Amino acid sequence: MNERAVVDRLTCVLCPVGCELEVEPEAGGCGVQVTGNQCDKGVPFAEEEVLRPKRNLSTSVPVRGTASRMVSVRLSVAVPREMIFPILAEIAKLRPETPVLRGQVLIADVLGTGADVIATRTILAGADS
Amino acid sequence: MIGPRETCDVAVIGGGPAGLAAALGARRAGAGKVLLLERDRTLGGILNQCVHDGFGLFLYKETISGPEYAERLIEDVLREPISVGTGAMVLDLSPDRVLRINSRQGYRLVEAGAVVLAMGCRERTREMIEIPGTRPAGIFTAGSAQNLVNLQNLRIGNDAVILGSGDIGLIMARRLLFEGVAVRGVFEILPWANGLERNVRQCLMDFRIPLELGSTVVEIRGRDRVASVVVAKVDDKLVPVSGTETVIPCDTLLLSVGLIPENELAKRAGVELSPLTGGAVVDETLMTSVPGIFSCGNVLHIHDVADWASFEGFAAGERAARFVAGDRAARTAVRVSAGPNIRYALPQLATRGAAGVEWSFRVKRPVRDVTVEVKGSASGKVYARKKFRRLLPSELQKIKVRAAVEEDLEVGCP
Amino acid sequence: MGQTTPPIYDVAVIGGGVVGCAVLRELSRYDLKILLLEKEADLAEGISKGNSGVIHAGFNVPSGSLKAKTNVAGLALIYPLAAELGVPHRKTGKLVVALADEDRPRLEELKAEGDRSGVPGLEIVDAAAIRRLEPLARGRWALYSPHTGIISPYELVIALAECAWQNGAEVRLETPVESVAAGDGLFRLGTPRGTVAARSVVNSAGLFADEVARLAGIEDYRVFPYRGEYLIADKDCGLRLGLPVYPVPPKNDPGLGIHITPTLEGNIILGPSAEPVADKRDAASTREVMARLKAEAGRLMPELGGLPFIHCYTGIRPKLVDPSGGEKFRDFVVEESGLRPGWINLVGIESPGLTAAPAIARMVVAMIGARLDLREKAGFLAERPRSVRFAHAGDAERADRVSRDADWGEMVCRCEHVTRAEVVAALRNPFGARTMDAVKRRTRCGMGRCQGGFCTPRIVEILQDEGVPIDRITKRGGLSRLFSGRIKG
Repeated sequence: MNERAVVDRLTCVLCPVGCELEVEPEAGGCGVQVTGNQCDKGVPFAEEEVLRPKRNLSTSVPVRGTASRMVSVRLSVAVPREMIFPILAEIAKLRPETPVLRGQVLIADVLGTGADVIATRTILAGADS
Repeated sequence: MIGPRETCDVAVIGGGPAGLAAALGARRAGAGKVLLLERDRTLGGILNQCVHDGFGLFLYKETISGPEYAERLIEDVLREPISVGTGAMVLDLSPDRVLRINSRQGYRLVEAGAVVLAMGCRERTREMIEIPGTRPAGIFTAGSAQNLVNLQNLRIGNDAVILGSGDIGLIMARRLLFEGVAVRGVFEILPWANGLERNVRQCLMDFRIPLELGSTVVEIRGRDRVASVVVAKVDDKLVPVSGTETVIPCDTLLLSVGLIPENELAKRAGVELSPLTGGAVVDETLMTSVPGIFSCGNVLHIHDVADWASFEGFAAGERAARFVAGDRAARTAVRVSAGPNIRYALPQLATRGAAGVEWSFRVKRPVRDVTVEVKGSASGKVYARKKFRRLLPSELQKIKVRAAVEEDLEVGCP
Repeated sequence: MGQTTPPIYDVAVIGGGVVGCAVLRELSRYDLKILLLEKEADLAEGISKGNSGVIHAGFNVPSGSLKAKTNVAGLALIYPLAAELGVPHRKTGKLVVALADEDRPRLEELKAEGDRSGVPGLEIVDAAAIRRLEPLARGRWALYSPHTGIISPYELVIALAECAWQNGAEVRLETPVESVAAGDGLFRLGTPRGTVAARSVVNSAGLFADEVARLAGIEDYRVFPYRGEYLIADKDCGLRLGLPVYPVPPKNDPGLGIHITPTLEGNIILGPSAEPVADKRDAASTREVMARLKAEAGRLMPELGGLPFIHCYTGIRPKLVDPSGGEKFRDFVVEESGLRPGWINLVGIESPGLTAAPAIARMVVAMIGARLDLREKAGFLAERPRSVRFAHAGDAERADRVSRDADWGEMVCRCEHVTRAEVVAALRNPFGARTMDAVKRRTRCGMGRCQGGFCTPRIVEILQDEGVPIDRITKRGGLSRLFSGRIKG
């Protein structure tokens, strides 16, 4: 992720305190400087969010042979943000067969990211919707 | 010919995050026959269409998607001898707790020892906010669109504008983008975004979808299908400012302009509703003004975190079971009102002498570095005080009073 | 094996609104081959669905005019007709209210006009009587019309057409007439689905009656669109209005003033306004008029301020009055063309067209009878079987229906309590109307406070089950598609 945010403000979500962090480009370097954190977990949180943001994603795909019996899916872990659309394209090819169990891996280690695409609901053969 | 009237101990109306929990709460508190009624084909309620994650942080200590959250609760329900009716809609509820239930299996009347209302909410419509213009195809409320996209695999349009920056609108902006629909922008009438900051970042900023605050849609154009919308800036009284109009070509308008607790059944049962929440007036046991009728979840007040709706459900279910078991001594109640900058405080009533009651509240306007107080309306005595670095209207907050309450109270954020 | 020559119809009716369908039903009493051509995807898509649903008594139009004569004649016909056809209606009476003493003379003028036209039962009443008749109404004096009523206008249209159909009439939707050739005693109507030949034509095309007449070479008419906006309040608004309440009509207003009208379901309608528009299809609601409706209604009834409105709609009236001219009144045109004998034009049928429709239909039949032999059909089915809506049925009836057919047990519309059985029956209507609005008008799905938010996904599923492909699911036909296909095919 080579995008540079000039100034970014974000709320840390790691604990209920919710420090409001400010991020500026590091003077004379290519990193960032983080202020506003009340513990040191805030710094890597903000750094990652600004320099190497990671995201989970979710969508749904139809059961093979149907037009609209949908299996909702998500990733097992967050992935680099720039992988969102390539991964969606891979998921769009899926047409899983029943039975599908919640947590079942539909694509392991998708595009080498280390994240699995997992089903988030159970659809048994012949079950209604 | 209608069959003989059936009975049950606790009837729970609605099988979403609150209702599933209420059925479990009732059962675990010893209710004999618990009936869980859900009008959709499957249990889960709105969770079934919420494919995104962010659920379960408090109930399960991890963030999972809506369907996963629902399935876990459903599995718990199915492990218990709870009588589940799906495709079963309650058409009427009387003050003496008689339910009229319609389903493909038959139309029946059931008399319940106690009822838990968990019907959830509906969405504010274009007509309710009176957007002028034509009435073409292509206008959807965000939740309706979410159902059509996630559960029916339907492409609702190619080019969308979203009105309302609540979480549903933000989530759907990203959802549409993921499914190849162009999203021109999200417009919000207030000067602040209504949804979680995390959602603004991950649904809009990530994808450079513009968020225009202090703006609204002032006209819809297009005869058969939406052809464009006209947006304009609004002043501090939220009135559109003439001369600031812009025409945005699009073929889809999504509305995320508010959720309304769906209390038609509560009204039929004579339950007193609060104009501040749109839901029932309840005491700390979540019982409404009608003895034996309890309320929880979005039908009581709109939640932003499903886990809290479930916690309310567990509590309401337990209380309903206790009511059936005979715990129904006449109680005197104190009234709890919303003070400065508080949109509402719930429960609106508390049993005199009750201790450890926790109030839920929302502020009207965002504030920073404030102290919220619960104090006696007459005496001014402060029963509880809590500091907040930041309070947003979109975040439900809580404040607990450890001492016993003996007088009318006010929750305020001076 | 099909016919090689298409059939020749005795009468073709152009336009499926209340007048066209009333004509069709009246004609279906006789041994005639008749059909109705409607350009939209359902009947009642024009002014017939965009009105307040009032059965007028006839005092609001100049006595001696055709409007007055057909109104009063229609008044006597429409109540028994609605009962025969099973169309919900109620004789509520109506109050025209004068807020100040100085407006009383206007009430007396209206009464005199009505008396001259033969309108029954009109009387001027005082403030105490007003309060007795309608607790929500306020005024010093009022004209009370006991025979005014309310009816569901689009249900009437559909019922008329279904009755005509059960008596052998044909109805073709999505069939606009695009050309007319006259010769050999026949009119050949060109449509996208082939040419229809008929001995006689009734042009009841409403807003477009002038354009249809022009296709036949008749240049005599020009229809000017006047838009009326309406607001509908939630049934649950806490107010029960027993009868329509109108303010004294301002002398210079091309409409009737802004009215407050109850519906049979318990909603309250405000409106209409009346403004000329440039485009016959400009059906938009405007901020200014919505505000005006609320303000004026609030003057008549303060309780109406701050009512929860669930819907707004418009109706475009086909007026013959030119907005740029000085004329204030133009009468109905119900006439056989001199240039084209056998071609009957019904032009400028605005209010009181709904009430007048049965009477206009008889006039039209008389004109046709002068040229064609009218033999009454043996076994004409005057009534149309109609069952009570599930929402209004009692417990025993509900239980019975569900045990016979499980589709009665599946709820589709949560706000109006409409079942799958009713939606399926609506979609299996004899005319092939299968749009979302066709379902709405026949079942009330989508007319409640959530305005289709809950039922739309369910109706979409049912439409597919009934064989309508995804990209043919429309709001009201044509280009009003809801979807462009599946996301993941």
